[in-house]
Amino acid sequence: MTGGMAPSIVEIGSIGGNLALEVGERSGASPMACYQCAKCSSGCPVASRGDLKPHEVVRLVQTNQQETVLASRFIWECTSCQTCTTRCPQKVDLAGIVDALREMSRGRGAVTLSTAVPVFNELFLEAVRERGRVFELGLMVRFKLRTRRFFEDADKAPMMLRKGKLALWAPKIGGKAGRKALFGRAAAGGAK
Amino acid sequence: MTYAFFPGCSLDGAAKDFRRSTLAVAARVGLEIPELKDWICCGSTAAHSTDPLLADALPAKSLAGAGGATVAVACAACYSRLKTANHHIAADAALRARVARVVGRDYDGLTPVRHLLEILVRDIGLQRIAAAIRRPLAGLKVACYYGCLLARPPEITGFDDPENPTLMDRLLETAGATPLEWPHKTECCGASFSITDSSIVLDLSNRILLMAQAAGADCIATACPLCQLNLDMRQKDIEAKSGRRYNLPVFYFTQLLGLAMGCQADELSLDSLVVEPQALLEARGIGR
Repeated sequence: MTGGMAPSIVEIGSIGGNLALEVGERSGASPMACYQCAKCSSGCPVASRGDLKPHEVVRLVQTNQQETVLASRFIWECTSCQTCTTRCPQKVDLAGIVDALREMSRGRGAVTLSTAVPVFNELFLEAVRERGRVFELGLMVRFKLRTRRFFEDADKAPMMLRKGKLALWAPKIGGKAGRKALFGRAAAGGAK
Repeated sequence: MTYAFFPGCSLDGAAKDFRRSTLAVAARVGLEIPELKDWICCGSTAAHSTDPLLADALPAKSLAGAGGATVAVACAACYSRLKTANHHIAADAALRARVARVVGRDYDGLTPVRHLLEILVRDIGLQRIAAAIRRPLAGLKVACYYGCLLARPPEITGFDDPENPTLMDRLLETAGATPLEWPHKTECCGASFSITDSSIVLDLSNRILLMAQAAGADCIATACPLCQLNLDMRQKDIEAKSGRRYNLPVFYFTQLLGLAMGCQADELSLDSLVVEPQALLEARGIGR
């Protein structure tokens, strides 16, 4: 070494550990490129309410804190608004990282009890598989039955009906068997 | 001009008024938008939060059916999902092959996808829009609200400036309205948390209404079903929680444009708006 200014080479694996590698692989994002400027958290619409802020999520990924990040409320309160991804000076796709963390959180049974988002997502995708399109009224009813939230927003359905905003019949398009096969092949990862 | 129209699920339900006003405006400017055959749901946030492959495959299935036509989209969330799938598939041959195995046919990721705002301002052009204006929206101060997904991320949507988009402002200015400078054009309304955790929507949408009011807006113009629903249908709840009074009508931009083009109120489904706009329109002498 000649002097102290020579750039050092850091092995990603030695710092990031498995979490950063897996998140990077799933999302195509580069969590290790984050230098913690916190610009993402400055513009995040839900940073003030979350248990974590976006830059903290990335730091936890970098330092391999699986339990904390996968069980966090933040990953389920993120609105996927893409502000963080758009503004990041290092082009770290934070919204993509959060998607990967949601997938891993579900896969490992680590989802926080405080969120109903995974239930909603599951019912939504079930509707797409069955009907090809989402029938809003049917989805709402199923969601209320599953989460037992019968009285929340009880005024909204009559309001929407009065305003002509509620379709009462589900759309009918064919191809159900084909869609079921498509969902099955996607779940298998599009393997040969 | 002809495009294959991808209306998206909301335009069959809670955003029927967006569909109706879009068709009314299209007829006035000679825009032909026959519906894309056998389109299916884009998968929305539910798909991309669950399975990235499914999130690319669902749009690919619809876009592969366009037969080379340019696809026109109204809903900002559908627009984002279709553009994102294109971006992924066109750039990654291995992913393209996996998506092809899932969908059952090859799709190259190259079907062009355009939002109605891009089509009206860039393809049809403001000169032709101006020629179709019959009753200018004189004196109407509008906060043009774009939401998250039209302009972000810009590498994927290529829509407009991600921090200060102006397509809707220019369009409604051409319709005679006064678009306002305001800082919340692309802040998030809370989107589908309307169903899963409405406290998020009440908080985020309140910030948008507050800023629109502070900027002196008479009304808000939107380009996304979720944005419109959150700001309009939840406005009473937001007022109750924040202790503020807004009474700001929240239009689809196509409804305002249609009014300026001389369409009747029922062609534009103005009675679908929860915050009723009649008093405002009468006070400005619009729609008579």
